[in-house]
Amino acid sequence: MALNTQAVGNLLRRRPRFARGNIELWANLVILSWAAAFMLWQGVGFAITVSTVFAIWAILAVSLNLVVGYTGLLSVGHVGFFGIGAYAMAILSSDASYEQLRTEAIPTFGWPFFAALPISVVLAGLVAIVVGVAFNRFRDDIYVLVSFGFAVIAFNLFLNWRPLTRGAFGIHEIARPEIGGWTLNGAFEFLVLALVFLAIVVLISWFIVTSSFGRVLTAIREDEQAIEVFGYQTAHYKLAIWVISAMMAGLAGALFGSWTSFIDPNSFVLLESILLVSIVILGGLATIWGSLLGAMAFVMLEEGMRFLPFLPTEYVGQARQVVLGVLLVLLMLFRPQGLVGKFRL
Amino acid sequence: MSLAQLKVAALSSALRIQEHHSRALATTLTTAVVAYVIWKIVQSPEQALQFAFNGLPVGAVYALLALGFTLVYSTVWFFDLYYGAAAALGAYGVFYLRSQDFLGGRYDVNSHFVNIVFAAVVAGVVAWALHENFHSRLRSRFRPKVLLALGALPTGAVGVYMWLVLANPSSLNALLSPVIGVSVAAVAFWALQRAHRRLSFGRGRSAIVALVPAAAALGAYCGFLVAVTPESKLYLGWGVSCLLAGAVSLALYRGLYVYMRLRAKSPLIMLVASLGILLAITAIITIIFRAAPRPLPEAFGSDVWTIAGANIKGFNVFAIGVALAGFAGLLVLLKRTAFGTAVRAIGDDEEVSKVVGINTTVVVAVVFFIGAMFAALAGILSGHDTAIQPRMGLLLLLKGWIASVIGGIGNLHGAIIGGFALGMIEQFGIWDLAGEWKDVISFVVLIVFLSFWPQGLLPRR
Amino acid sequence: MTTEVDPRVFALETKAISKSFGAVRAVDQLSISIFREWITCIVGPNGSGKSTLINLLSGMLPIDEGIVVIDTVGIRVLKAHETPDHGITRTFQEVRLFDQITVWDNIMVGLTERRLFPSLLERTKPRHEEKAEEILRTVGMWEKHDAMAGDLSYGQRKLLEIGRVMALDVNIYLFDEPFAGLFPRMLERVKAILKEMRAQKRTVIFVSHNMDIVRELSDHIFVLDSGSLLAVGEVDEVLGRSAVIDAYLGH
Repeated sequence: MALNTQAVGNLLRRRPRFARGNIELWANLVILSWAAAFMLWQGVGFAITVSTVFAIWAILAVSLNLVVGYTGLLSVGHVGFFGIGAYAMAILSSDASYEQLRTEAIPTFGWPFFAALPISVVLAGLVAIVVGVAFNRFRDDIYVLVSFGFAVIAFNLFLNWRPLTRGAFGIHEIARPEIGGWTLNGAFEFLVLALVFLAIVVLISWFIVTSSFGRVLTAIREDEQAIEVFGYQTAHYKLAIWVISAMMAGLAGALFGSWTSFIDPNSFVLLESILLVSIVILGGLATIWGSLLGAMAFVMLEEGMRFLPFLPTEYVGQARQVVLGVLLVLLMLFRPQGLVGKFRL
Repeated sequence: MSLAQLKVAALSSALRIQEHHSRALATTLTTAVVAYVIWKIVQSPEQALQFAFNGLPVGAVYALLALGFTLVYSTVWFFDLYYGAAAALGAYGVFYLRSQDFLGGRYDVNSHFVNIVFAAVVAGVVAWALHENFHSRLRSRFRPKVLLALGALPTGAVGVYMWLVLANPSSLNALLSPVIGVSVAAVAFWALQRAHRRLSFGRGRSAIVALVPAAAALGAYCGFLVAVTPESKLYLGWGVSCLLAGAVSLALYRGLYVYMRLRAKSPLIMLVASLGILLAITAIITIIFRAAPRPLPEAFGSDVWTIAGANIKGFNVFAIGVALAGFAGLLVLLKRTAFGTAVRAIGDDEEVSKVVGINTTVVVAVVFFIGAMFAALAGILSGHDTAIQPRMGLLLLLKGWIASVIGGIGNLHGAIIGGFALGMIEQFGIWDLAGEWKDVISFVVLIVFLSFWPQGLLPRR
Repeated sequence: MTTEVDPRVFALETKAISKSFGAVRAVDQLSISIFREWITCIVGPNGSGKSTLINLLSGMLPIDEGIVVIDTVGIRVLKAHETPDHGITRTFQEVRLFDQITVWDNIMVGLTERRLFPSLLERTKPRHEEKAEEILRTVGMWEKHDAMAGDLSYGQRKLLEIGRVMALDVNIYLFDEPFAGLFPRMLERVKAILKEMRAQKRTVIFVSHNMDIVRELSDHIFVLDSGSLLAVGEVDEVLGRSAVIDAYLGH
């Protein structure tokens, strides 16, 4: 009956036998086989949709991991850049002929996808420079707070800057990608495109984290003052990775806008950002593979829940949120580096 | 010095001046904004008064949140994001308890699952309190099984009672009247005894016996009054949901955070874990109550008072009063009682406090309880002022967090000043803008503050 | 030191530098001159400003007043990330390693590119690897090169930190208590490293409380008390002075 805090704490510290060592292997096996089995069971159409969602989340997760896992800045504001990319794509490429009755007129350009894409990415990067300069002096929990702030400010801009974003009505008819007159209208073609972009993002991230630059990032995460003494101007490094990460998120946003062909501010609420951080932590901090795994687990979690008999469809999103919340608590208790991570928070 | 040296020195001091420049620029800009607002106030003082009357009640809510947040932060030194969930729990608790009688029961939600969970949480807290208080004293006198039975009896009774209360919200006043009666009697007896002792200088102890019937009569009268007044149900609901939010917080601390803090290397672990809790509780609230905004039943003080041409609702004055009273109460608790000394000692150094014999687990758990009650109260007040929705928790949490940072992290005086300041800044900030930019204004103010005055208004001493 | 000395014999000079924390003047109008290619020791009772001085010289704290002269160039504002360019590096009193990366990477951080864009393109080169291996063998940590720095024992951490600064090719090394808490065998190793640095014509400044080591290693000694200079000169002579003994044993 006697509840001795120290004793229970010791008990928790000693990991059970099955958990020793092989968690990474099991996490990989379970998530991948689950995903494969699910897609085989549900057929091609389902697999294509789910994989596209996965690709977009995965780009976001990999890019956020560069900031959270490698540089140790727990940013909850990533959805802001995602939204900037999506809105830039929407405004630049949405069809000018779309009837704008009953809603306010916004500027439309009707650019093709591949012209709007670099602009979206660069715009996200430019915003990131401004935000990054302001945020560079913050650390740890205060960083979390101000990054919350960025997400809230970005969301309010999307919602309330009506002459540009048409507020809650959203923007319709965003262009589909077009390669030399061949429009990628089919879901499969788009999936291939998304996967190509995911591959590019993963490659760039891999290139960054295996370079000397990546090593400096991990050192900044561990002790920023100590690494300064070695002659590194940490502010520049943090700013650089922040901008790169934001540009990747902008890319994901542009893809997302084009894929759904309609966006409104509800896709970019603060909650999405928190979910994204959960994905990164769940998959594993400071590993690229972990972020891919986390994104896959996240997408599969939602899809899996659709088939739970006792769960009404409208609660699936909420139930997923509950599961993620509980998972976060358990991870922080037993495995603060995430499933396959290399950095303990 | 050589020419090269002079050059380097001059360059360096130029760099230094540049650093000063940005700060000076920020100060100038802030002063300009403040001057502009003052100019506007002078231009139309009535409008300004109205803004102040709008801002103060909102500020009161933020101040309450910031107080609880600061209390907890300055004790355990991590930001507990559960406070957002506590605010939402408080507001939805009132809604849950009142939904049967309210709007013809259209939004009636009463699920066995929720009742049992909360009854279990409260029973668990009672069991823990009994264990902490009596276990070591009684361990030598009774066999373990007897002890277990002795503990299980009151625990079970409280659990069942809580379940009854939650399952029958339409007779809340009747069910809770004995509790009200007994607690009024106890408080009255304590007060009378104190007064008597002070007046009689310790003589005439037998007179105390005469106080018992007086206190009992008062208690019985109050209990009766509550039982026959249906309007009291709303305010009893306030109390119950505050207690529930506090109990959940206590249970979370004792059941989870204690173990996590033994292992956590950085405050970020605690922050992320509490973020997970916030996420889960928000989602559960959405599942039970739906995402759409809901109204709370009309409280007292809906009449509008007009002072110097500006309007303020009676209820809003009450909210301001609650924030000030909460602040005063917290101050008395921390500065005048042994408990407060223990809290401050733990905030200074938890290990040393343990060594000198403070039961840190209990003290911190109680701090979590109090903090969550503040958050729940803030949630209720804001819910009566506007409407409630599940994501209010996160928004209120962020506002409370901002308020405590603006005021100066870990400083109670700063928390209340920061709360009211944030409420006013939001109101005056939208003078020339539309109301939907409030959130943006508060975060911009936060970032400016942290960049140039990271210590906040009142730095922690 | 009454005669006029050519300033070029000094690697590092401070000219009346001060640093206050609130009302406390941790370093008070301190002027010292460190001889080139010598081992200089800074001693003094606890709270005499030794660590603050090291922090000022490595740019980790801004200097309130005064000037630092490095290689005859006067510097008013010393920034931490510029210190290697001025030829200074340091270790910390409480070891500050990069805990969650490997021992190997801890050394590598000192060897690789400083500039932002070149570092993005740079992969580990053979010359980096050779140098890192050489350093790790010198400090006796080669067997541990794949371990996480956070998993090392205290002594190993101390050695790794010394190895980490050896990776930097600079002229002035500041060691804040490099001998504290080391086993005799490790102690000998650190002593050998410091002597080797002197042999390679580097300037070494260290803080220590161990008088035997101070006597053995130092060419020159500064005694600080309450942030100002109490004594300066040749080791045995200075440590024999009554004022120094008083400062250490209490008045």
